[in-house]
Amino acid sequence: MEGLIGKGELRIDAYDKVTGKGLFASDYGNQFPNLAHMKALRSPYAHALIKKLDISKASALDGVIYIMTGYEPGLDWDQFPKASIIAKDETLWAGQIVALVCAETLEIAERAVELIEVEFEKLPAVLDYYAAIDPNAASVIDPEYETRPLGFSDRPGDRASNRVSPNVVGEFKMHAGDVPSAMEEAEIIVEGEFWTGKKTASPMECANAICRYDSDGGITMWSNGAGVHGVIKQGICRILKIKESMVRIIQPYMGGSFGSRLNPYVEVITALMCLRTKKTVSFQFNREEVFTGAPSNWPCITKVKLGAKKDGTIIVNDYYLAEEIGACVNNTFFSGRLSSSGAVPVYRFPNLRMDTCAVATNTVPAAEYRGLGCPEGEFGIECLVNQLADELGMSPVEIRMKNIIDKGERDAFGELITSIGLKECLQSVADAIKVEEMPDQDAGAWKKGRGCAVGGKQNTPLGRSEAEVWYNSDGSIQLFISCDENGMGATTALAQIAAHEFQVPISEVKVTKGDTAITPYDNYSASSRTTYNTGNAVILACEEAISKLKIEVARVYGLHPSKVEIKGRKAILVGSHVQEVDIPSLFAPTSMFTQGNWGLQKGTPVIGHGLFCPAPIHQWDENGLSDRVWNWFQYSAAAVEVAVNEETGQVKVLKIASSADTGNPINPKLVEGQIEGGIHMAIGFSINEEHVFDGNGKIANANLSDYRLPTILDMPTNENVHAFINPDPLPDGPYGAKGMAESITIPVGPAIAHAIYKAVGVRVTGYPMTAERILALINEKKAKEAAK
Amino acid sequence: MRFDKYFEPTTVEECCSILKEYGSDAKILAGGTDVVPRLKNKIWRPKAVVGISKLPDIDTIAVQKDHLVLGAGARLRKISLEKSLEKDYKVIMEAAGNVSSMQIRNIATIGGNACNASPSADAIQGLITMDAIAVITGPEGTREVAIADFFTGPGTTVLNTGEFLLQFKVPAPKPGTGAIYKKFAIRGDTDISIVGVGCRLTLQIDGTIEDARISLAAVAPKPIRAIEAEMLLIGKKLTTELIEQVGEAAANSCSPITDQRATAEYRKEMIRVWTRHAVEEAELRAKSS
Amino acid sequence: MERMEIKLTVNGRNHTLSVRPDRTLLEILREELNLIGTKKGCDDSNCGVCTVLMDGLAVKSCTILIPQANGHSITTIEGLEKEESLHPLQQSFIDHFAVQCGFCTPGMILTAKAILDENPTATEEDIREGLHGNICRCIGYKKVVESIEAVRDGKYKESCGEV
Repeated sequence: MEGLIGKGELRIDAYDKVTGKGLFASDYGNQFPNLAHMKALRSPYAHALIKKLDISKASALDGVIYIMTGYEPGLDWDQFPKASIIAKDETLWAGQIVALVCAETLEIAERAVELIEVEFEKLPAVLDYYAAIDPNAASVIDPEYETRPLGFSDRPGDRASNRVSPNVVGEFKMHAGDVPSAMEEAEIIVEGEFWTGKKTASPMECANAICRYDSDGGITMWSNGAGVHGVIKQGICRILKIKESMVRIIQPYMGGSFGSRLNPYVEVITALMCLRTKKTVSFQFNREEVFTGAPSNWPCITKVKLGAKKDGTIIVNDYYLAEEIGACVNNTFFSGRLSSSGAVPVYRFPNLRMDTCAVATNTVPAAEYRGLGCPEGEFGIECLVNQLADELGMSPVEIRMKNIIDKGERDAFGELITSIGLKECLQSVADAIKVEEMPDQDAGAWKKGRGCAVGGKQNTPLGRSEAEVWYNSDGSIQLFISCDENGMGATTALAQIAAHEFQVPISEVKVTKGDTAITPYDNYSASSRTTYNTGNAVILACEEAISKLKIEVARVYGLHPSKVEIKGRKAILVGSHVQEVDIPSLFAPTSMFTQGNWGLQKGTPVIGHGLFCPAPIHQWDENGLSDRVWNWFQYSAAAVEVAVNEETGQVKVLKIASSADTGNPINPKLVEGQIEGGIHMAIGFSINEEHVFDGNGKIANANLSDYRLPTILDMPTNENVHAFINPDPLPDGPYGAKGMAESITIPVGPAIAHAIYKAVGVRVTGYPMTAERILALINEKKAKEAAK
Repeated sequence: MRFDKYFEPTTVEECCSILKEYGSDAKILAGGTDVVPRLKNKIWRPKAVVGISKLPDIDTIAVQKDHLVLGAGARLRKISLEKSLEKDYKVIMEAAGNVSSMQIRNIATIGGNACNASPSADAIQGLITMDAIAVITGPEGTREVAIADFFTGPGTTVLNTGEFLLQFKVPAPKPGTGAIYKKFAIRGDTDISIVGVGCRLTLQIDGTIEDARISLAAVAPKPIRAIEAEMLLIGKKLTTELIEQVGEAAANSCSPITDQRATAEYRKEMIRVWTRHAVEEAELRAKSS
Repeated sequence: MERMEIKLTVNGRNHTLSVRPDRTLLEILREELNLIGTKKGCDDSNCGVCTVLMDGLAVKSCTILIPQANGHSITTIEGLEKEESLHPLQQSFIDHFAVQCGFCTPGMILTAKAILDENPTATEEDIREGLHGNICRCIGYKKVVESIEAVRDGKYKESCGEV
């Protein structure tokens, strides 16, 4: 039978999802008749002192089981996921929990929240980078942060050495080549300062968890959080000091994540409430809380200066980046290093200096969001490359073809690039949109323009993935994995890999997923690692099972295992009197009285286990350089045609093409879905999505009416949406595959920005590129022209 | 608990007596698309909710000789698709069709859109443009109020405690009339309007504007008419300069706020832009009527 | 609070329920009738994942009080699959990869059904106009439109029967 790799196999979970039969975590409530409900009282102020907090009336309400506050004894809040730290004395963002009620019904819990008597005294708040970086700004974080223990992450914090403001909480510096000299050598220099907005991933299912109190004192949790082993179980055990044997985490279908559920801000606190009350409890965020009480992305401010030769060869990049990380008290991994990582793997910068930092503000704490800061960090570079092309009279395609790193080269860190199909990606999108030609204009208010950009995203080596595979005695296959299935189709791709290895149709493979009592360890699905990491583990598991099976079959026929080939249910034997055997027939039936039941027995599967762990990084030197900072790189290119309304400033994407270098795709149809979804997500945050604050620093558009997620009308019509795959196989990927989902969103914003420039002649320096902002730029340009 | 008691009167009299009994503790439920979220979020805590969908003829859409009758419970989507309105009342269809999504329009009503009294409401803009009359009934009997006088502020109307809106009567337009409503929002109908501009022009044979209405959404505490802009138009023929002036006058007549959807300045600017478009397109329609 | 007798026909089956009238149709479907295929996403009628059909019309069940549904006929996603096959839209969504996380899928399919039931020759523009009240975060809508168009074009008549 032909292999399955590269085939558009149908999703294994689609039937469950189109019939409504598949259970999501938020569907589990019905199964517990005495379910207790949690409801949070949250701070309405970005920064305030809690002058009074009296829970006595609320506690006295019939049906109230427990009220937790920041003064709860026996806890080390520093260890808690940032967004679940209950305020004590002082609130650090509007949305921080002040008290958490557990009651017999949600209605009682809501009533109890109303009965809590609380008084705040508003304090000055810093809501964005510019306010936070002021040397005289109020300190968001504890002034003694240097002495605080590191929080939830196991990784070392990157402490800031030179803190220009009390809100600078981490830094990273690197210098390759000699930037000052190269700047002098440059024949043309372009520079600019760029910003990006604060956004919420907004998966359609709100964050939630149900935690069952088990009769033995243990807990079982169903949640839509990511990383059942690596994030949730490990987090709960470590923070709440409970034995691993007493914690079981189950991940049903997840209603989206986009990275935002990689932080266990619901799970740890729900488990804590469960343990305190000894009851099965449910914590369901509402949509407003998904904005105010769950982590956002981290916006980035970049100052970029590119120097080039007249022929378009870029020779130097001087790059400053600041991550605005919200009220991250226990800073764990923010230093600017993640967001700035995108500046390295795309272009051949012989001279590159990076000076990056993380800045805290009184806004919701930041955490993972598709791309880990790379869409934000690369925006300015891509805008300037386009500007450079314009100033040199080159096409945006040509200048990139000249400067994109080639396979086999080393990037500025010194890392070897082993897989890059970016030039091919760029060419295919440029051709599809005819990006080097001007579209026809008419006399109306809508002006058209085209633009393109590229992007690269590192894969962070994030530790271990395991897989277990059973070859059952009837020849059917079971796969046990713990990676997340946010919707991206990983379980289908991994089932496809197992089916391919055993040479069976995918329908023969049953996947059991995401249950820490059953499925083996996997850290979590982050950094587009699942296909690569868990995929390699699945291959290893299959190989082990096949090898064991060969030994068993060979034994029966007196052969060396190398003479046996496994093809699904069949074993092909070389040199035996039997050429082919139906493997299930070799499993001996057993009865209650069967003696000596060794060998292949009915009911006992042949089991293979696989463990894959990417090589660790090499610690960087004093210049921030190392030949292994990241693992591998995914790339994508985008080209767009937009229309800009000169009267209103509105931007509409009329045509878009996106191409991904995915390595060899396991399932191109799934990749296509991820590309189209990535395009649409990026259109949303490039044009519309951002937090808008009210006078108290609270998010004023914390709902799906005013936080403008893209609808179908924001996408171009079907014939104008193009998804391409331009693979460059990854040598160490499963069948040459690598991850892809994060790279898609990176180039869309800068491509739109350039198309806007081509349409109406204004250069945008940040996103979202809202109608109001674009109109202001257009009016500014008109005023300047009139002044001339 | 979101309220204590639910009523579903089947006669106007019954409805009146329930409203009389509960006074300001009663809320009327038509389509519920605005009321239900407020009940759920405890913004309103009424004792009684009174569903009016069982009242006789409450969902009427009837074109009569010299006017149109729209029951308060007429669903927006039905209005937006009602072919019999196309000739004389197209602007009412369009404005109703500008409200949110298909699912919302399937249940939301014209009366609800009016009584909710949001300054940004779209459907009522069609009514204002066409000089509709609100028919109100209550313990003191039935009275009629011009739609432009129906609104008293954000979320408030002339309805007294115990009264409710029964229907709208829309006078048939004179020959030579064209009307249009322009909704401006970032994501189109999905969004609550940043601004909206309704315009009706009645032209004489020679193109002179005999009568004009300009109504503005989302730029004041309630839906307003731009009277000065209207006055500029009446008695004149439309020219590019006049259109500019009218846009300017409309912008000057409003007092928008800055909120999460837009700044006050942007709203003003958009009134200028969309008033111009509305006037131009209303004239085209008037000419072809 | 006084309970109220509510009669509902859900997916062809008649129910008489005694429930508090302050609850929404969505709450009754999910919590009383265990029809969890209808999802809750925003609870204020902006996202569309709670879409069901009421007397054939697509409505958002999170903002409908249960008395408003009294006496009406409701179709949820659970009502589409037939014994012998899936509903054409369900099969088409599977075949066109229009599903990723799947949370918006039931609402999308029911809205699509309403669009095609009302207008069997709906153009892409009609489909977009009908679907903009349903937000999807994963799939980018293209494959959703493809799925609906395939059903409109009769590609599932043989395998799954009429819409």
